[in-house]
Amino acid sequence: MAELDGKRAVVTGGAQGLGLAIAKLFIERGARVLIADIDEAGAKQAADELGDSARAVRCDVTQAHELDAAVQACVSAFGGLDIMVNNAGIEIVKPLFEHTEEEFDRIYEINVKGVFLGMKAAFAALPQPGGVIVNMASLAGLGGVPLFGAYSASKAAVVQITRAAAIEMRPTGVRINAVCPAFVNTAMVDRLKPIVTEMVGVAFDDLAAMKQGRLGTPEEVAEMVAFLASDDSSFCTGGAYVLDGGLQAGML
Amino acid sequence: MARVEGVPQGTGQLEGKVAIITGAGKGIGKAIAEAYGAEGAIVVVSDIDEGAAKEVASGIPGATSIACDVRSPEQVQALVDQTVSQHGGLHIMVPNAGIGRPVPLVTMDYDEWRAVTSVNLDGVFLCIRYGAPAIIASGGGAIVNICSTTAQAAVPLIGHYQAAKAGVMSLTQTAAVELRAHGVRVNAVLPGFCDTDMVTNVKADFEAMLPLEAMGGMDGVIAMKQGRYGTAQEVARMAVFLASERSSFCNGSPFVLDGGCRASLL
Repeated sequence: MAELDGKRAVVTGGAQGLGLAIAKLFIERGARVLIADIDEAGAKQAADELGDSARAVRCDVTQAHELDAAVQACVSAFGGLDIMVNNAGIEIVKPLFEHTEEEFDRIYEINVKGVFLGMKAAFAALPQPGGVIVNMASLAGLGGVPLFGAYSASKAAVVQITRAAAIEMRPTGVRINAVCPAFVNTAMVDRLKPIVTEMVGVAFDDLAAMKQGRLGTPEEVAEMVAFLASDDSSFCTGGAYVLDGGLQAGML
Repeated sequence: MARVEGVPQGTGQLEGKVAIITGAGKGIGKAIAEAYGAEGAIVVVSDIDEGAAKEVASGIPGATSIACDVRSPEQVQALVDQTVSQHGGLHIMVPNAGIGRPVPLVTMDYDEWRAVTSVNLDGVFLCIRYGAPAIIASGGGAIVNICSTTAQAAVPLIGHYQAAKAGVMSLTQTAAVELRAHGVRVNAVLPGFCDTDMVTNVKADFEAMLPLEAMGGMDGVIAMKQGRYGTAQEVARMAVFLASERSSFCNGSPFVLDGGCRASLL
């Protein structure tokens, strides 16, 4: 029996990168997945490729009604919702004081408010007990990262909102955890490589190799999410689980 | 949160891997040995209590037992050497053996301090010291240190236990960065209070020495802070994840399972 047999999940930002890897692994482990993404065409294409166990819906996570609709779409398609993965997020990589006010607001709106709205929409549909929420935070949410000032602040907010929600919801039997990956081989990291290299003065790949051994893979992040979504993690709630190849363990 | 007890059906996550679990004669160590066996590992059940180790091993297909006092460098080295000669290698080491009993710091004898730190900290060092070279020689693998949430915040009366567990977390970090290039991942499992003998045995002492009446005794405090006690089997599921390839990018980190205790300041 696969660990997620019969489970029904929504993955926001599921059209590409980490979200897509999560959707794929969930289906491999027996779940059915609704891919919710602001890129509607991308979400549809991903769902087509994943087959009968996947559906797609357009979802802008800054809009409460679109998250409610995504949850409803999962319930209509699969008969319920067991797992909510709030994965959608954006990055802005530049010196802190070069962030415009609009950029700062935007990163908070998507990365923080989007998780808040996603948890709220999901909670109304999740089984009590047994429902699970996994929020995509970042290692940047646990430590300062130059050039990622607004991003890391938003991810720290995800870690803290996860903790508060987990404690408040514990009596219902709904578990809520956060995942904190370091640099992972995704389009997001490809975009920031040249920026970091230019501003830090060290080739990004060399920096990553020194700090975390290598880049992580989306599949590795998906494994952590799948563990937290499964009954294997039945005593885990309010946690922030790190995957960083040893980055945080080392000082240099 | 629904409790998980009993040995879950495995999915072959540790197929063919040779694993040593110390302190596996009972409690969390026993649950880890059983879970690893269910996942297809070749399990070496080790405990200072030879009879207990033998009995646990007899319930796990293919498992063997080796008595070991983890305070002794010679015995830990022999544990690793015998495992390698019996099974042709070593891939997973779980330094789990630990002891603890409540004593206030100001009345703690030095011998008491040494007794706890020598098992809980020195023992983990020795397992890494002698286990890691064998894992490297076998092509890589994982070390899963069984730590505690008390490595991160204090519970009164177990200062020696906590200092040792904080030391284990530190050793986890050093080992993770030193061994990364050699294909050995090192992580720590940090359980909260579980309903194991170690915890139930000290409950009366805690209630006698601490003002817990208003909270409903030890059980009331645990209900408030963790929701409930954890189970040894739940700790074992985390130990399976960290030993398996599924956690291949996890290294040097604390993996907390505590029902949310550490997530709240209250």
